[in-house]
Parts: sequence; structure tokens; C-alpha cells
Amino acid sequence: MNTLRLSALLAAGFLLALLAGCAAVVKIEGEQNVKSRMSVRVGQAWNKVSAPGSEQPYEAWTQDGFNLDHLRLWAGVRSGQALVGQAPAAAGQRALRVPVFRAGMAPDQLANLFEVLYSADGSQVQVTRLEPATFVGEQGVRFELSIIRKRDDVPLSAVGWVAVRGDELFAITYVAPRLGFFPRGRPGVEAIAASARLR
Amino acid sequence: MPLPNHASPMTSPAGPAPGRRGFLRSACRHCLGLGALGLGVGASAQTPPESPALTLPGRFPPPALDSDEGGLWALMDREEQRLRRSPFVLRDAALTGYLQDLVCRLGGEHCADVRVHVVSNPSFNATMAPNGMMQVWSGLLLRMDNEAQLAAVLGHELGHYLERHSLERLRDTRSRAAVAQFIGLFGVAGMVANLGITAGMFAFTRDQESRADRLGMVLMQRAGYDGAQAALVWDNLLGEMRVTGGDDAGSRNPLLATHPAPANRRDELMRLAGGRGGELRAPAFEAAIGGHRLEWLLAEVRRGQYEQSLALFNRGLTRLPDDAAMRFARGEVYRLREGPGDLERAADDLVRASAAPQAPVQAFRALGLLRRRQGDAQAASAAFDQYLARAPQASDAALIRTYLTQLPP
Repeated sequence: MNTLRLSALLAAGFLLALLAGCAAVVKIEGEQNVKSRMSVRVGQAWNKVSAPGSEQPYEAWTQDGFNLDHLRLWAGVRSGQALVGQAPAAAGQRALRVPVFRAGMAPDQLANLFEVLYSADGSQVQVTRLEPATFVGEQGVRFELSIIRKRDDVPLSAVGWVAVRGDELFAITYVAPRLGFFPRGRPGVEAIAASARLR
Repeated sequence: MPLPNHASPMTSPAGPAPGRRGFLRSACRHCLGLGALGLGVGASAQTPPESPALTLPGRFPPPALDSDEGGLWALMDREEQRLRRSPFVLRDAALTGYLQDLVCRLGGEHCADVRVHVVSNPSFNATMAPNGMMQVWSGLLLRMDNEAQLAAVLGHELGHYLERHSLERLRDTRSRAAVAQFIGLFGVAGMVANLGITAGMFAFTRDQESRADRLGMVLMQRAGYDGAQAALVWDNLLGEMRVTGGDDAGSRNPLLATHPAPANRRDELMRLAGGRGGELRAPAFEAAIGGHRLEWLLAEVRRGQYEQSLALFNRGLTRLPDDAAMRFARGEVYRLREGPGDLERAADDLVRASAAPQAPVQAFRALGLLRRRQGDAQAASAAFDQYLARAPQASDAALIRTYLTQLPP
């Protein structure tokens, strides 16, 4: 009960913060179209969040706020394209590297992109499972990560699927606190990943 | 509580305002000790002395709770409590004890008030809070060549502590009504969580950094270390900074705007060292960190900043060409980067790393993945077999077994 109340408060705070920052929040359920390239079926409702001026190559969804669950969906990422927006470099400096998809990457290389992605903020990341999997009808890879989030020391778990179709990358990752939130959200996310189809 | 309206107890011993006498008496006791300290260090800055003479201030008593210094200590104590519970702290009594002993060798009686915490973070950093909390990041330890270099960094941090720079900075910041900006960087909750870093890294001025450099040099030379190693620390860091900042990175790196430019810093430290020589104690350092080297190398690779990592590994392999863990790490970076000629370079390193008696198990995995990539099924199969034999429960065993079944006969 306390956990639910806390999550409700956090969700309210999160939504308030989003409104203050002019982020757009759209409730989504049912059949969803991701970046016009992938469709997924959503059982429970999610919030799709987009912040004007900080567009990313993925869609960001959450149910209780990004601190408590964060679903990212990439669709149709082309060879040479980064998986995240690159922060502008300081004057006279070269920008830091960000994970970039290249056509022809092996499944282990695809999974490594996400290991690097989730390590970028100083969080501790460990791959706890890496196995072949079918995703969007293609042979790809499924991975699980154990993460200690840098900013607040919270232990997180993550699961992800990634595959390549016609030199384009498709992926879903889900990250949530290891206690409570991840086990609760995981079945729904597994169902979303299983429903993923190319458009 | 009202704040003293002066920049620093060292530079502005103006009369106290009512209600602040207790604090200023405390501050002035420190001023006396620091005055002597400043003279000694100042002299060393002019001409390198034959034998560094220095009178350290006595141990600092806990400040009054109702003083601004007391408030700062309380914040730092809370931060240290949080840090003690943090999963990022490396709980290795032997390594922590080694670092604590080094602090004692440098700081004399102050070592009783300093507590060292090793933090898992692949970046180069160490911080010192006014309550005696010292944080040493694993990325810094990975970048040190010997104990003398580590002594240079810890001596520098002790310099901040002995001259109480955090307190100076807090007062200076407040006196310029910049508290909002100070807090706004992290938010109120974030400020508490990050104050150790803030106080150690963000807040110090260039002048404070230079003073800490000079004091650190005196401390390390007094303890018998080769002062020239302090200059090499910055030389090595410059090598990595040039990757993202070009050849003149050291003269205009905006990330180090509050620090003296590393190129100047290196030159000044070399001048202060005065060519007196001293101990390096490389074997003792290697013995202390050796058990963690592989995990720190893996964390460095995971940063994905391949060019910076290569600068670090190239330097390390020049010094330790038979270090199998570092050779594996460099090969892994080449394998992951996959630039022109990288796969061949990766093969050279990974073959050599996996043939070493102390080959890390990950070297066989990397070699198998590389050979598979190069289309050498036989070599890939042999490397994968060795990897699975050594790590049958590896997290990626299912994927590697699939790769094995897919390899052409």
C-alpha cells in the first residue's frame, strides 16, 4: 500500500515536472505505431513522453515516471545513426562518442551498444544474460542487464531485444528498479516485445 | 545563520561581526598554522628547496555546530554516511588500508582525521571534503603508474584540506550571492548528494588548485617520493585530453576552467620538483591495485570512449608490455571500434593476451568473436571452446554456443 502511494506521489510529481518543462505526455494503449516503422500491441496503458527540442531516435514510454520504469523503442535506425542524441561538444572540443549502429553488426555487438548506452552516465552495468532471440520476426538477441544507477545508487534491472532488418536496427529496452517495479512491469513488456512487428 | 562577509580567513582577517566570534576564533587559530604553512610553501614556489621544510597546522577541531563551517561539516557527514552505504564504494580493506597508510605517510597526524573511500568510477578524480572524507575514484587509480604519482594526487587533495579551501570557497560563493547558482546546479537534494564532488572539483579556484599543487609537492617530497612524478600525472592526463581537445587541449580545456591549464601545471610541477629524485614504489602500488585492474579496465572499455581508452592503454603497454589484462583491453577496444586496420590490431593484442599465463577469460571470448567476424571458423571455434571451458556459466554462454553451432565446419 505504501509503495503504491509512493509511486502515485512520484508519478504525480513526475507529471507536474513534465508539465512545467512543457513536455508532451500522451496516454497510449492498444495497437501502437513506433516511428512509423514498427507496431506493437500495448496491454496496459503507458504514457508516451516527448520533450520539444530534445528529440531522440527512440520513443520513451513510462507508466509511473522515468525513475520508476522506462521503456525505450527504436525503429528503423539506419547504419551510421546514433542510438541517442549527441550532446553538443564544448567549444574547441570533440563531442564524446555515443553508441552508433553499423550495418553488419553481429548480435553481440548490437547488445554491446546498449551496455555502453546505459553505462554512459557513470552507472555500473553488468550483462547478466545474453541469448539469441527472435524479435520483429528476425533473428536477434535478447539481453538482461544489472545496473546500479549513478545518480541515486538505486539497483535497476533491464531487459532488451534488438534485431536488424534490411540494414536497419529495431530494439526495445525496459529499465526499472530491481525491487518491486521491474518484476511488476516485466510481463507486460515481454508481451509488448513479443507483439513487435515491422510495418 | 548570517555569513561572514569576507572572501577568506587567510586574506581577510577583518573584525568579527557580533555573534561570529566563536567561529572566527576557531578560524584564526587555523590562520596561524596556515600562515606558517603558506610561508613554507610560498618559499618552495620561488626556489625549490633542498629539503622541503613545512610546519603543518595542528589537527582541526570539529567546528561549532552553529557556524557556517559546522553546517558544511554536517552536510559532508551526511554525504559520507550515504557514501558508506553506496554500492559504488569498493569494500576492499587491503586496498583502503594501503591508501590510508599513504595518507598517513603524507599527512602526519592529520591522517587520524582523514577517511579514504575508494569509489568505482572509471573517470579520473579524487576529492577531499573539509570533514576529512577523501574519495579516490578507481579511474584515477587505473591511470597511476606508481605510488609516487598517487602520492602526488593525494598530497594535492590533502593540500586542499590543510588550507581549508572548501570553506574558503563556500564563503566566497555566498559573499557573491551565488548560492542559488551553486544549488541550482544539482537541486537541493542533488546538492547534498553531490557536495563531496562539488566541493572537491567544482568549487576550487585556480589559485587554490595551484596552492594545493605546491603543498602536495612538499608533502610528497617530504615523504621521500620523486616529485617529478606529479608532473607526469598531468602529462599523462594531457595525452588523453588531446584526444577530444586537440594538441592544445591543455591550454584551453573548458572542463578544467577552474584549474590551472594542465600544460602549465605540468611545467610548474616539474619546476617545483627541482630534480631531486626520490622513490617511485611501483611494485607496492601494483600489489595493492593488481586484484582490481581487470574490472577497472573493463569499466574503462565500457565507457565507449575508444580513443581516450587507447591513449591510456598505449601508455600502459609501453610501461608494462606483458600486462595481459591491459593487452586484452586494448584488443577489445580495437575489436569494438572496428575502424580501418582495427581488426588486425585487435588480433595482434588478443592472440598475445590469450597466450599469456595470466590471460583473462574475457580474452578468449573477444578472440573468438573477432575470428568469427574475420571468417576464421577454426580459430573462432578454438577460442570459444577455451572460453566456455573456463567460464561455462558465463552470462553469454547461450549466445556463444549458438555461434559455435553456426560456424561452418
